[in-house]
Amino acid sequence: MVGNKAAATAVKLAKVQVASAFPITPQTTITQYLSEMYAAGEWDFDFVNVEGELTSQVVVQAASRTGARTFTCTSGPGLLYMHHPMQTTGSSRLPVVMAVVHRGYKGMQPDHSDLMSQQWTGWGHQYVEHAQEILDSVLMAYKVAEDPRIRIPIAVGYDGYVLSYTAEPVEIPAQEEVDKWLPPNKAMPSVLPDEVDPSTFARGWGGGDPQMPWKVHHEAILKIEEVLKETMDSFEKTFGRRYGNGMIEEYMMEDAEVAILAMGTIAGTCKAAVDRMRKEGKKVGLIKLRSYIPFPVKDFREWAKKLDGIAVVDRSICPGKGGPVFAKLRDSLFDQEEKPKTLQFHAGLGGKEVRVHDFEMIGDKILKAAKGGKVEQVTWV
Amino acid sequence: MGELTITPGSACQGCGAALAARLAFKALGSNVIRHGIPCCPDSTTKTPRFSTVFEGGGAQLTGTSRGLKAIGREDVMAVGFYGDGGTYDIGFQGLSAAAERNENIMVITKDNEAYMNTGNQRSGATPKYARTSTNPVGPRSRGKPRPKKNIPFIFAAHYVPYVGTASVGFPEDLISKVNYMKTIKGFRMLIIQSPCPVGWRYDPAKTIEIARASVQSGIWPLYEIMDGKTFKLNYKPKELKPVTEYLTPQARFRHMTEEEVADIQETATASWENLLKADEMGRLII
Repeated sequence: MVGNKAAATAVKLAKVQVASAFPITPQTTITQYLSEMYAAGEWDFDFVNVEGELTSQVVVQAASRTGARTFTCTSGPGLLYMHHPMQTTGSSRLPVVMAVVHRGYKGMQPDHSDLMSQQWTGWGHQYVEHAQEILDSVLMAYKVAEDPRIRIPIAVGYDGYVLSYTAEPVEIPAQEEVDKWLPPNKAMPSVLPDEVDPSTFARGWGGGDPQMPWKVHHEAILKIEEVLKETMDSFEKTFGRRYGNGMIEEYMMEDAEVAILAMGTIAGTCKAAVDRMRKEGKKVGLIKLRSYIPFPVKDFREWAKKLDGIAVVDRSICPGKGGPVFAKLRDSLFDQEEKPKTLQFHAGLGGKEVRVHDFEMIGDKILKAAKGGKVEQVTWV
Repeated sequence: MGELTITPGSACQGCGAALAARLAFKALGSNVIRHGIPCCPDSTTKTPRFSTVFEGGGAQLTGTSRGLKAIGREDVMAVGFYGDGGTYDIGFQGLSAAAERNENIMVITKDNEAYMNTGNQRSGATPKYARTSTNPVGPRSRGKPRPKKNIPFIFAAHYVPYVGTASVGFPEDLISKVNYMKTIKGFRMLIIQSPCPVGWRYDPAKTIEIARASVQSGIWPLYEIMDGKTFKLNYKPKELKPVTEYLTPQARFRHMTEEEVADIQETATASWENLLKADEMGRLII
């Protein structure tokens, strides 16, 4: 099953009620799969084919307000076009789930600049590695987004082409088990005229602390950490699979001296590099970052006590500023007493291939830096 | 019919749009979710309300309508109460697409012919020669150089079940149109000309007078178009009043020369004759 099929299959398993999308490469086939599912009438599902991504975002936003379970998906420029209403979906605390099939802005090949550029919109942001993880993560995203403690939209990002159009074996959970694990969406208070709270009729004009909505929104997103970890445990209990603690997934980290931090498909490439380096006796491990927002600050502070070095591989860059994950990791560790050496690597931008030996080079550099060797802070792989 | 608007709102004295809201929501009743986008005045109603980005009017009605269907509450009406900016301009793409899909929604536009919320900047609904804060009159400008978009005809050309025009100066016509829209399904749009004393620059006591003169002079005819073909002119005076009855009380037109007034008169007369023909045939040829 290709990655886009895995996403569409998750939509079906979650019994999404209203989905809306506009085709854009490499997300396009999701819109086709959803249209086929609508035509087949396999469950009570409405799919709205719209004239642009801005509309698809607003359609799921409004449908979510009515209490329906919703889904949308896009890529690169389409996500930029959604930026405006994504703010409303976030601020309104609507449990929309969106697949972002990564496509960069300088060319059509994948990097993470699309989703990274939306970090101020007030959503949870997750990055996944393979087709099975797409399916599982979309299901888990509903569980987390619709949790009454959270009510935050969640974007699940995966690399275009490499995942969207590449077939991999995917285990599909039984519908009955999903139904039991993911009951219908009850996150939103009723908006129906005969049920709504009349105090919401008039629009509030100031009066309170204007900063408060930002604080409340920020804190709700931070709570995703706890709920995502719980969700990962219950997902494993029901379906037998897990991805670390939900926030990060560790690989060969038990006795690691240094770690490579990577996201998305290239984390898989990194695993192969770690295997090779381990055979050579190099104590390198991988920390795959799954949740960028909220950022696993606690997990990295724990790892900081044990590690001598962390090499951060950013697949996006804020031009003139640098890699966002590197900046956030260093920010998380800055005031820790014990902190590892950190290095920044720019890799995979514009879809540039990142090979196993690139990760071996990254591993060697962070090992050298950890031992006090002189290594440049920033490397373009 | 109960009063559904909450007063006092944020409207100015003599606000046509506030009156449009009062009449329309009175007729709609309470089984409504009102949808807003940035516009003026910020009317409030005793109904649930959704709002979204300026350009998202058509999309949010679509989402609500589909969501209500999904939760089994199609009896609740998804109604948008938008301004001319959100209809003619920034919201046009999404509304056009919603019309093309024939979404089960109702769009009510209070058309005050400029971006009044931000201080009378020109919109696609501003009529020719009108002075606005972005069409000042000077050696290089005679006010807005081009006519207002014919938005009712543009939406009628989407072959939607219902497009109507209305005026706050003709409340019975307005209410009967809203009542009719409630009896049908699909995409329904009502454009209500809503005079704005601040932007059009006239004495706030004259809102109704000006709204009536607009209809009576053929500047804003009252009609309805069903399925993009059936046409009905709802108000047919034996003789049109001269357009000066509409133009003269408004300072936004005060700079107009005799030739410019004649231009407007000629356009209004010619368009009225076309509408009479269409009314006689009972259909539009689109």
